[in-house]
Amino acid sequence: MIRTEEMLLNVGPQHPSTHGVFRLVLKIDGEIIVEAKPVIGYLHRGTEKLAENLQYTQIIPYTDRMDYVSAMTNNYVIVHAVETMMGLQVPERAEYLRILAMELNRVASHLLWWGTFILDFGATSPLLYAFRDREMILNLLNELSGARLTFNYMRVGGVKWDAPEGWLEKVAEFVPYLRGQLKGYHQLVSGNEIFLNRTKGIGTYTKEDAINYSLSGPNLRSTGVKWDLRKDEPYSIYDRFDFDVVTREEGDALARYYVRMGEIEESLKIIEQAVEQFPKDGEIMAKVPKIIKAPKGEAFVRIEGSRGEIGCYISSDGKKEPYRLKFRRPSFYNLQILPKLLEGESISNLIAILGAVDIVLGEVDG
Amino acid sequence: MLGWTKGLAYTLKQLTREKLTYDYPNKPIPLPDRFRGIQKFYPEKCIVCNQCANICPTDCINLTGKKHPDPTKKGKIIDTYDINFELCILCDLCTEVCPTEAIIMTNNFELAEYSRDDLFKNLEWLDENDENIRKVNKA
Ligand code: SF4
Ligand code: SF4
Repeated sequence: MIRTEEMLLNVGPQHPSTHGVFRLVLKIDGEIIVEAKPVIGYLHRGTEKLAENLQYTQIIPYTDRMDYVSAMTNNYVIVHAVETMMGLQVPERAEYLRILAMELNRVASHLLWWGTFILDFGATSPLLYAFRDREMILNLLNELSGARLTFNYMRVGGVKWDAPEGWLEKVAEFVPYLRGQLKGYHQLVSGNEIFLNRTKGIGTYTKEDAINYSLSGPNLRSTGVKWDLRKDEPYSIYDRFDFDVVTREEGDALARYYVRMGEIEESLKIIEQAVEQFPKDGEIMAKVPKIIKAPKGEAFVRIEGSRGEIGCYISSDGKKEPYRLKFRRPSFYNLQILPKLLEGESISNLIAILGAVDIVLGEVDG
Repeated sequence: MLGWTKGLAYTLKQLTREKLTYDYPNKPIPLPDRFRGIQKFYPEKCIVCNQCANICPTDCINLTGKKHPDPTKKGKIIDTYDINFELCILCDLCTEVCPTEAIIMTNNFELAEYSRDDLFKNLEWLDENDENIRKVNKA
């Protein structure tokens, strides 16, 4: 009689394919994963607790460090929450700048995902191509905000900087450039047999699972649920743009790949329209008091981030600091389904499944 | 055509493209004017209003003032001004609130030191940091 034994295998917390400090404790039977337990918290900085002692403007740089590859959307959710509480009307020019910044950042974030996801399978060249093009976006955002990742660009009532000279033209030029590049990306990866073998039918879940685990963003849309807050609950000025919500029916890693690639194209559409509609002049800041105080009460807002729905709950007792602040961080919720996906899979599929969920550990740990 | 050969064709096509990398640190990296690097401090402009220390989200600015040496003049002048770059996140808020633009961002970002103590920069150091200063400080 051959006797098999279960073994414990520790993946991470420092492991290149976990994209951050994330640990997985696997119980394996040979090659097959019997049970997977994610261990998180290595990057926990206590943003929510720290915020209770910070003025609203001071919280904005902390949000940069949650989802650090998509900081503009995090900036937006906190200022949007405070603006909602104060009933502020944001000037149109500021709204356009915000949309441009957020959509450029979404493209940069998806490009980073694209490169690293394929890098996990052992292909290094796509990463370099993705970073080449992402670098151009980072340069644009650097010119706009003065930083490459931690932008600290938005303020309650508007944005910090107006677009510099010639910036809009550069953005307009970038859109057709990236469209051309995307064709190359598909040529490079989408038809590759090895890539298809490793993603098709891997890490599949159903619509019901996705909803029950409160997944959002591309993870939800890859199962065929047409839900995008930019369309379904338009915030800012998203109702002025014509774009589609990309969905796929399969719910596997490949579907998530195609949803994200499609989203880059949709974001480019929004950027193009925003540059066209960009107001000639106008303010970039609403009239706000020097010390911002949210009125007594509470508010919850949610927006569509690069990885899913980012929510922000503020409970205020009328002071300049929030009484309680809570972020709904999409990566944290999306990660919940991982143990279920890994059960019964082989170890070699682990990184493909984890990579396709697309987590950022700064956001998971908060 | 097989999928992977298409990919190979794409890679080969890229070989003739121009190089994009910089020869850093032999060549400086071009940075936009707005770039947020280590601050420059102008002691003569500072009116010791404490706004920068109050807005700093990481509490890394420490400053003290003293009475103006000229008894006919009112107000204070700066005595010590330190920024702890172990904590500073270069968020730009101090330069945003300063009413006299006594503290301004520069394009210098090279902060690596062998000792943590060296990350503690005082008034003199911040005063001498006077290259690549941001030209337009407020929108
Ligand atoms: S840049 Fe930000 S963290 Fe650094 S000293 Fe100024 S306010 Fe403080
Ligand atoms: S805000 Fe400016 S003037 Fe006021 S203490 Fe700071 S550096 Fe001096």
